[in-house]
Amino acid sequence: MSEREKYFLEIADLRKGFGKGDTRQEVLCGLNLTISKGEFCVILGPSGSGKSTLLNIIGGIDSADSGYISINGDKLEDMGEKALTAYRRKHLGYVFQMYNLIPNLNVKENIEVGAYLSEHPLDVDELIHTLGLYEHRHKLPNQLSGGQQQRVSIGRAIVKNPDILLCDEPTGALDYNTSKETLKLIEDINQKYGNTLIMVTHNEEIRHMADHVIKLRDGIVRKNERNTEKISAIDLEW
Amino acid sequence: MKKKNQSNPLRRRIIRQFIGEWRKYIVIFVFLALTIGFVAGMYVANYSMLQAFENGKNEYNLEDGHFELSKKASEKELAEIASGKNVDLRAYPVTIYENFYKNTQEKPANKNTANNRIRVYKVREAVNRACVLEGRLPQTENEIAIDRMHADNSEQKVGDVMYAGGKEYVITGLIALSDYSTLHEHNTDSMFDALTFDVGLVTEEGFERIESKLHYNYAWKYGNEPSDEKQEKKYADDFMEALVTQTVKADMELEDYIPRYSNQAINFAPEDMGSDEAMGGVLLYILVIVLAFVFAITVNSTITKEASVIGTLRASGYTKGELIRHYMAMPLLVTLFAALLGNVLGYTFFKNVVVAMYYNSYSLPAYETVWYYEAFIRTTVIPVILVLIINYVVIYYKLRLTPLQFLRHELKTSRNKKALRLPKFKFFRRFRLRIMLQNLPNYLVLFVGIFFVMLLLSFAFGMPSTLEHYQKHAVDQMFAKYQYILKQTVDKDGEEITTERKAAEKFAVTTLVTTSGIRVGESVTVYGVEKDSKYIKAGLKKTKEDETPEVMISSSYAEKFHLKKGDSVTLSEKYTYDEYTFRIAGIYDYMGAVTVFMNIDTFRTVFDHPKEYFNGFLSDEEITDISEDYIATTISAEDITKISRQLDHSMGGYMDYFKVACMIFAAILIYLLTKVIIEHNEKAISMVKILGYENKEITSLYMLTTTWMVVVSAILGAYLGVKAIILVWYEIMKDMDGWLSPYVGISEYIKMVVLVIIAYLIVMIIDYKRIKRIPLQEALKNME
Repeated sequence: MSEREKYFLEIADLRKGFGKGDTRQEVLCGLNLTISKGEFCVILGPSGSGKSTLLNIIGGIDSADSGYISINGDKLEDMGEKALTAYRRKHLGYVFQMYNLIPNLNVKENIEVGAYLSEHPLDVDELIHTLGLYEHRHKLPNQLSGGQQQRVSIGRAIVKNPDILLCDEPTGALDYNTSKETLKLIEDINQKYGNTLIMVTHNEEIRHMADHVIKLRDGIVRKNERNTEKISAIDLEW
Repeated sequence: MKKKNQSNPLRRRIIRQFIGEWRKYIVIFVFLALTIGFVAGMYVANYSMLQAFENGKNEYNLEDGHFELSKKASEKELAEIASGKNVDLRAYPVTIYENFYKNTQEKPANKNTANNRIRVYKVREAVNRACVLEGRLPQTENEIAIDRMHADNSEQKVGDVMYAGGKEYVITGLIALSDYSTLHEHNTDSMFDALTFDVGLVTEEGFERIESKLHYNYAWKYGNEPSDEKQEKKYADDFMEALVTQTVKADMELEDYIPRYSNQAINFAPEDMGSDEAMGGVLLYILVIVLAFVFAITVNSTITKEASVIGTLRASGYTKGELIRHYMAMPLLVTLFAALLGNVLGYTFFKNVVVAMYYNSYSLPAYETVWYYEAFIRTTVIPVILVLIINYVVIYYKLRLTPLQFLRHELKTSRNKKALRLPKFKFFRRFRLRIMLQNLPNYLVLFVGIFFVMLLLSFAFGMPSTLEHYQKHAVDQMFAKYQYILKQTVDKDGEEITTERKAAEKFAVTTLVTTSGIRVGESVTVYGVEKDSKYIKAGLKKTKEDETPEVMISSSYAEKFHLKKGDSVTLSEKYTYDEYTFRIAGIYDYMGAVTVFMNIDTFRTVFDHPKEYFNGFLSDEEITDISEDYIATTISAEDITKISRQLDHSMGGYMDYFKVACMIFAAILIYLLTKVIIEHNEKAISMVKILGYENKEITSLYMLTTTWMVVVSAILGAYLGVKAIILVWYEIMKDMDGWLSPYVGISEYIKMVVLVIIAYLIVMIIDYKRIKRIPLQEALKNME
C-alpha cells in the first residue's frame, strides 16, 4: 500500500460544536485520524458521541469549526458548495438509517438514480442480482420490506462505484436477521468493489467485521485500532 | 462499465407524479387550457378582424373623413374644395365624393311597435363601399340593403319587408359598411346603437322615394396618403381651415367635419378590440401568476414531504440545479401543454366564440383567419416564462438549504426561538390559531386568488349594476321628458317658432369641448336656462358682464374631471377654438351627461347671441305643433339610456357565463390550496385520529380555520376588487365621451361573497371526504 493509499482519508484536529454561549456544546473535540484506502472502518460510540457528525463532515454535508479533512490529498475545507457537490457526486455513496427511496420509482429506477451520477457506474442488473433484488426490481418501495428497501438504498449508493461508502446506522431500523443480511451485503460489496467503507453504528458487535475500529465518546477518540482477525457478518451475534 | 447516455431517472417520476395526482393537474391543465384558449382566440380573432379592417380601407375605399354642408355645393365649389384653390396646404389635392344621406324612421313589417331610425345612402360605388355579407345590393327602387348587425337585433332577414320613412322596401342584402363598423348615430355618442339605429343602401330612385331632409354629406380622400397619425391630424386641421374659408366664401355653413381618425363609427370597434386584447392579456397573466403560485405552493409542499429523499440525493451528489429542474418540470410541462392545447382551441373553437361576440356588437366585414405569431408568444411563451420565473424563485429558495437540513427536516431557517404565545383561548380555538399561523403562506395565496376572482366578479356584477343604476337614475334625473333642439328659431315666414304646450320652456344649448383635464376634446353640452326654470332647478343667476361667468356643472362632469365648486374650467369651440372660461358655482345632481348649466342671459352674453335668443324647448309634454323640419334633435329617455342599453346588449349576456367561470376558478383555487393544507397536516390529522378525535372534531379543527380565511378573504377581496375595478372603470371611461358613474350596490357585494362561499362549500365536501380518508397509520409512517 502506498503512502497516499495509507493516508487516503486524513482527519486533523477536527472540532465541531453546536449552540452559542452557555448552551454551546462541543461535539468533536480535536479528532486526529487516518483511514486507508479500501478499509472497512467502523465508528462506534454512544448517542451524542459525535459519530454521525463526523460522518456528515466526511460526507461534505456538514462543516467543521476548525481542523480539516483531506481525502486523497484534497482538503474539504477548501471546497465551495459546488466543489463539495461534485466531490460527493464523484467520490461518495451514502446509506442512511432511513432508506429515503423515491416512492414513485421502482427498485431498478431507484438504483439508476445513483448510476446517473457516475461516469463509470456498475452494471445495474448485475448489482440488483448481487443485492438479491432481481425478482423485486419492478416493485415500488412501498411493496418491499424494510430490509429490501435498505438493500435498494445500498444499491443506489454503491452503483456509482464510489471511492468511499458512508453508512449511517444502516441497520438501525432493521430486525436482527435482516440486519445481519444487510451487514453481509455491505461486507461483500466492500470485498468485491474495494471501496473504502465507513460505517457509523452503536452496535459494538459490528466492530468484529471491520478492518479498522474507531470508538468515540464525548467527541474524543477513545479507541483507534485495526482488527487482525475479522469475523464475517453472518457469524456475528448480539 | 462505461456509462451509456443515460437520461436522468428522476424524469420518470414526472409522468408518475402526474398519474398520482391527476385530479390536481387535470384541473389546472383544463382551466389553464380554456383560459389560454379563450385569450388566444381573442387575439387571433382580433388580429384577423383588424387585418380585415385594415385591408378593407383599400378594398372598400374607406374615406379619410367627411364633412357636411348646409347646402349642396356646386361643381365649381367642389372643384375648388378638392383642389385647394388659393390655399397652399400639404393635404392637397383631395378627392371629394358625394355621400348624401337621409335620416328617417324604420319599421320592420313584422313589428308594429318597433320605431327605429335609419340613415339611408345611395348605393356607394366610389367610396365607403359595402361588404355584402348575405344577399345582394338593391337593384330596384323598392329594394334596400341594411346593416347586418341591426338586422340581427331587430330580427330582420333577407326577403323581409320593411318601411323606411313610411315607404315599403324589400331587404335584398345584409351588409357591413366600412364607415359604420359600429352604428354610431352621432359622432358625439358615447356608445353606438345597433338596436334602434340602422344604416341602409338603396338605389338612386329608392333614395328619391324617401321624403326627409337631405344631408349634404361629402367624403374625402387625400391624394397623398398621410404617413402617420401626426401627419393625418395636420392634414385634417389644414383641410378644415381651408374648408371653413371656402364654405364662408360660398355662403355655406360647415355643419359637420369629421376626419377619419376621430370618427367613432370607424374607430370604435378596432380600438375596443384593441383594449379587449389588452384586458384579456392582463387577466390571463394575473391568472397565470395566481396558478404559478398555486404550483409553487404545491411543489413547496412536495419538497417538504420529500425532504429526506432530497437530503439523500443532495448528499449523493445531485446538484441543486438538477433538483430545481426536476421540481420545475411538472408546472412547466402542465403550463406548456395547456398553452399548446389552448392555442389549438384558440384557433378553432374559441376564435369562433370571440368572433360571434364581436359580430354581436359590431358591424364587421367578412374576415379570414390569419396566423398571429404574437398570440403564440403572449399565450404560450409568456405564461411559460411567468410560471418558470415564479417557480424558479420559490423552488430555488426552498432548495437553498443544505443536504443535512433536508435530512433533519430543518426546513425553516428562521426558526422561532419560542412559539408564539396565544391568548388564553379555549384549547380548540388555540389549536385552530396554530393551524392558521402554520398555513399563513397558503392563506396568503388563497387571499390573492380570491381577490383576483373578486376582481373579475366585480366586473361581472358591477357592470350590469352600473348600467341599471344609470338607466334608472339618468331617466329619473332627466330635467324634462323631452328636449327639442331647433334648427332655427324663426319659421319660413320669419315668425318666431312657438308652441301651445304650457309645459314648454325655452332654453339655449350649444356644445363646447374640454381643453384640459383627464380628456381634452370631450364634448360638453352647455345649457342656458331661465333663472326660475321649472326643469333645471339650479337657481342660476345672471353673471355681471365684467365677471367670469358662473355656471353649475353636472355631477357626472364633476366626477369625471374631478372638479369642485370654486374651480374654473375653460372650454372651447370645437372648430374655431374660441375659448370660454367659467367659474363653477355648484354641482348639479345630474348623471345623464357631461353638462354645464348657466343662466340663459349669461349664455346669450357669453356666446354673443341676441337678447331673446333660444334654440330649444324643454317640455314634459310631447310637442306636436312644431314642424319636424325645424327640429334638429329630440332628446328623450331612450337617447339618454342609449349607452347603457347597448353595453347591456353587447356584454350583458356574457356576464352570467363570466360569473360561472369565476365561481369555477374560485372552486379550483380553493380546492388546490386546501389540498395542500390538508396534505401538509396529514400526519397531525392521523395522530389526532389515533388519539380518539372524531372526524367531526378534526374537520372543525382543520376546516373551520380555512372557512374563516375564505370568508374573510371573500369579504376583503370583494371590497378591494370593487375598488380596483372602479379604477379600471375610470380608465376606460376617461377615453369615452360622457360618463357612467360606477355603482356596485350592497346586494352585489353580497352576491359576490355568496358565490365564492358556494364554491368553497363544494370544495368543503371534497375536503371532508379527504380528511375522512386519512389512515391512522399515516402518523406512524417514516418516523425517524
